[in-house]
Amino acid sequence: MQTEVATARSAGLITRLKRRVRLSTLKYLAILHVSILNNLAYIMEVFFRALLLVVLVFVLTQLWTTTFTLHGSRVLKGFSIADMIWYLVAAEAIALSLPPLTRRIDQEVRSGQLAYLLGRPASYVLYNYAHYLGERLVRLLMNILIGSMLALVMAGVPHFTWQGLLAWPLVAFIALSIDFVLHFSIGLLAFWSEETQSFSLIASRLTLVLGGVLAPLEIFPQPLRSIAQALPFSAILYGPSRTLVHFEAARLGALLIQQCLTLLIGTFIMLTIYRVAVRRVNINGG
Amino acid sequence: MLRFKRITAEVQLIFAYALANILSALEYRSAFIVQVIAMIANNSLWLFFWWNYFQQFPLVNGWQGTDIVILWAVAASGFGVSVAIFGNARQIPTLIMNGGLDAYLGMPRAVLLHVCIAATDPSAWGDIIFAVGAYLLLVHPDPLHMAIFIMLIPLTALIYTSFMVLLGSLAFFLGNTEGFAQQLFGALISFSTYPMDIFNGFVRVILFTVLPAGFVSFIPLQLLHHFSWPLLGILLGAVAIFALGATTLFRTGLRRYESGNLMGAQM
Repeated sequence: MQTEVATARSAGLITRLKRRVRLSTLKYLAILHVSILNNLAYIMEVFFRALLLVVLVFVLTQLWTTTFTLHGSRVLKGFSIADMIWYLVAAEAIALSLPPLTRRIDQEVRSGQLAYLLGRPASYVLYNYAHYLGERLVRLLMNILIGSMLALVMAGVPHFTWQGLLAWPLVAFIALSIDFVLHFSIGLLAFWSEETQSFSLIASRLTLVLGGVLAPLEIFPQPLRSIAQALPFSAILYGPSRTLVHFEAARLGALLIQQCLTLLIGTFIMLTIYRVAVRRVNINGG
Repeated sequence: MLRFKRITAEVQLIFAYALANILSALEYRSAFIVQVIAMIANNSLWLFFWWNYFQQFPLVNGWQGTDIVILWAVAASGFGVSVAIFGNARQIPTLIMNGGLDAYLGMPRAVLLHVCIAATDPSAWGDIIFAVGAYLLLVHPDPLHMAIFIMLIPLTALIYTSFMVLLGSLAFFLGNTEGFAQQLFGALISFSTYPMDIFNGFVRVILFTVLPAGFVSFIPLQLLHHFSWPLLGILLGAVAIFALGATTLFRTGLRRYESGNLMGAQM
């Protein structure tokens, strides 16, 4: 009899938990949907922003074309010039899709808007994650569209493998999540620091230079190459872009482990900062 | 005589605003220091990339590591001075759209100059410190080259500022051009920090006309390598054309400006 009651209780608990998870997922999916629609409403602005990608990829392509010519080789560290152009487009598409997340969190903390958001029936972190994803996905898709057209003109049809094409959305999605954790944590520093934009600038520059947006990390001399590959920045840009252009199953496994570890440790640090920060919130009415 | 007095008064105003802006930024001392250090670190990271690049590929179309240092030093110092002194030029499209120019129109000063000098960005001081530091520490110039470098700073700063004003003034005619202006200015910065020799003929024509990257990077670099009066004359001519073009476009646009009835004061 007691066993039956316990089984019924646990079944009820599981059902309630399932319902809660489903409702919670629907809630954040709705926020994601609204964020995507908001950004689609200003699609021309997104388009103009994406034009900078054309300039940057063009400049870097010129640099690497000159380098290949002077080096007198068709392949450099395993990359042909066509591979290099597609790699640059893939890396720049992710890099340039970053929305001003740190600035938004910083302003919410300074203006006190955070206190109002904390009162809503939604997690502040997940609300911002859904909002950020909506903004970033629209920008990323526009960058991919414009970047692909440019690369098709400059390098021709790419020689991607189907495995690379299938794996890229997954590793790119984890990369976007790592970027969120990094920039959301920096935004929360507004609780202690007068200025957070500078930290964000340094983080994004480290991601660009050591993360492999200017060239694949193979181009760097040793020991810098190994150091850069081991750093979390490579999991954001280099890893996903290389997976798309030069797919290798063993490397994908290593990348997924690196990305998951980075995301896990990053999330732990972010939540610790968040918990400490929320204790400092003062509500003075108004 | 009257003209001389007017110019002196405007120069005094520029210095007074620059001082007031920096004192205002220093009120938040730790934020100011963090921004300056971050900008120095940001620029140093780009140089770090180039240092590694030249370790692998020592010579690109005759360019060496020190050429890139000079390029970055000239571009960063010009941009830094432009933003430190004429930092509000970037806000021109917003001011036009929001009716924010009203506060300047009633003042007994040149409107464009007054608008440009009204604000600064503290991180610009990081650019200036980086530029001078990199040039001194990595290039080891003699006094003559240091003098040429210092002379080039205001010239490149004027080109950057004029370009910002030109782009900003388009808002008088085309409506909200803030995003467009930002993208084009970003393009100018990108092109001016890479070796000019990697670009072909057509792109080079653009870099000496529509997008004046050649005047803020390539010509200053050539002047620092082999100084010649004709080349300096070309640079001065370009500065005059861009400054005159920016002033004319702003003045023409100002005639079309409609007040936003915005209540505000310029202190």
